[in-house]
Amino acid sequence: MSRSDEQNPADLAGAYALHALDADDMAIFEAHLAESKEARIEAAELTDIAVALGLAVAPVQPSDAVKANLMAMLSSTPQLPPLPASRTTSPSAMDVAAADPGASPAGPSVATATPGTEGPAATGAGTTAEPRPESDIHSGNASSTPRPSTATERAQARWFKRPSQFILAIAAAVALFVGGISLGQALNSNEFKSQQAASLAQINAANDSQRAATTTVDGQEVTLVWSNTLGISALLVDNLPALPSDQDYQLWYMNDGDATSAGTFDSSGDGTVWRVLDGTMHTGDQVGVTVEPTGGSDQPTSNPIVALQS
Amino acid sequence: MLGLMTVDSAGDLAPPAPASKEELLVQVARGDQSAFGELYDQIAPRVLGLVKRLLVDHAQSEEVTQEIFLEIWQSAARYESSRGGASTWILTMAHRRAVDRIRSSQAGRDRDTKIGIRDLAVAYDHVAETVEVRIEHERVEKAMTRLTQLQRQAVSLAYYGGLSHSEVADMLQIPLGTVKTRLRDGLIRLRDELGVAS
Repeated sequence: MSRSDEQNPADLAGAYALHALDADDMAIFEAHLAESKEARIEAAELTDIAVALGLAVAPVQPSDAVKANLMAMLSSTPQLPPLPASRTTSPSAMDVAAADPGASPAGPSVATATPGTEGPAATGAGTTAEPRPESDIHSGNASSTPRPSTATERAQARWFKRPSQFILAIAAAVALFVGGISLGQALNSNEFKSQQAASLAQINAANDSQRAATTTVDGQEVTLVWSNTLGISALLVDNLPALPSDQDYQLWYMNDGDATSAGTFDSSGDGTVWRVLDGTMHTGDQVGVTVEPTGGSDQPTSNPIVALQS
Repeated sequence: MLGLMTVDSAGDLAPPAPASKEELLVQVARGDQSAFGELYDQIAPRVLGLVKRLLVDHAQSEEVTQEIFLEIWQSAARYESSRGGASTWILTMAHRRAVDRIRSSQAGRDRDTKIGIRDLAVAYDHVAETVEVRIEHERVEKAMTRLTQLQRQAVSLAYYGGLSHSEVADMLQIPLGTVKTRLRDGLIRLRDELGVAS
């Protein structure tokens, strides 16, 4: 900015420490910080002074609800890894996650993008929603290698190369709840959101946490994360198109030709929508998504837009 | 459940001795929820006090405080003790988030206009609740008296008012360049008065 060019960037040190810089001057001053050790020392000292001003303010005891809310959210809030290298400013989780590009947007589709070799065998199958005994879940007989396909391999490589972004995206999604901003997706109540977030965090924290990924033919990235020992899974989709109001996306666990509903969700059309599946996941289950009338169907009435082998 | 139980049992082994905020942050970075609770108890009133100083509205201030502590939980691993104490890290984050909230909301703008310079008069009217706070409060208040009036106004409007330097310039009706130098000179003077110089 011309007005700033007339000045010594060092003059910005005070406003910087007081968080009073606008974006343009912030960029100018950070460039200055990067070049000058003296400037970094001064900025640190003046930041300490700003903190002294902060410590001179009378404390105010928060209501008990603030701590209770926080403690309840911890287990569902993933933590960031340390920064790999020292930086002049530390970006927040939201900043970093916001830089994470999603898949290219695309129109609705009912094409099948099946990574496995079996296809959407469950479509139109009979009703068997009966959960299996718990003993099966602890068998440890995990099929840790999804059936190979180029889409799966490519997508998996993408995720495995970017584990930190993956976690950050989840962190950002969780943080959105906290700000009181609904994802605008399938999550209707705070309790439901918090259960969903807690389950997602559990999956990611589990020792046997696994993931598989593919894309719909329209290019939307779809990722399934699951834990066989926990018996739960979650599906994440980038830029899933919004549906008309009389339709919902419906999740299914599919096994041996049987489809079991695992809940419905909708999508705003951009960003990452995710949903922890209802019910219990069994080793070897496929997870599919169909488009159904609002509220969901007892059995799939259309071909899956995507199906993934766990 | 095995994975979760392993994590939890590690947290249960936290030592009972009172820990410094820096030590607590290290434990929080490892996912220790009880350390987080302890850290919260130690510094949450400071955070809310500061945030409320800027935002005024109590409910909104608690909301921002909650966001700040969630950020502490998320980014504890990014705290570097070599770059300053835990209070510095946390209060710096708290101030930035309070400022972010002011800049992102029309409510913040209205608040600025309503409070304006009148806010300066009450900058130090708070009743200090503890000896520690009172001493720090008096130390800062005394140091502030060493500033020129313009320096003091500019620093107060920026820090306690959450105004940007151009908003400070508008409010005090002085050129932006002057505000920049007053803010810097004011903080350097405070640094010298408070003895924080390296």
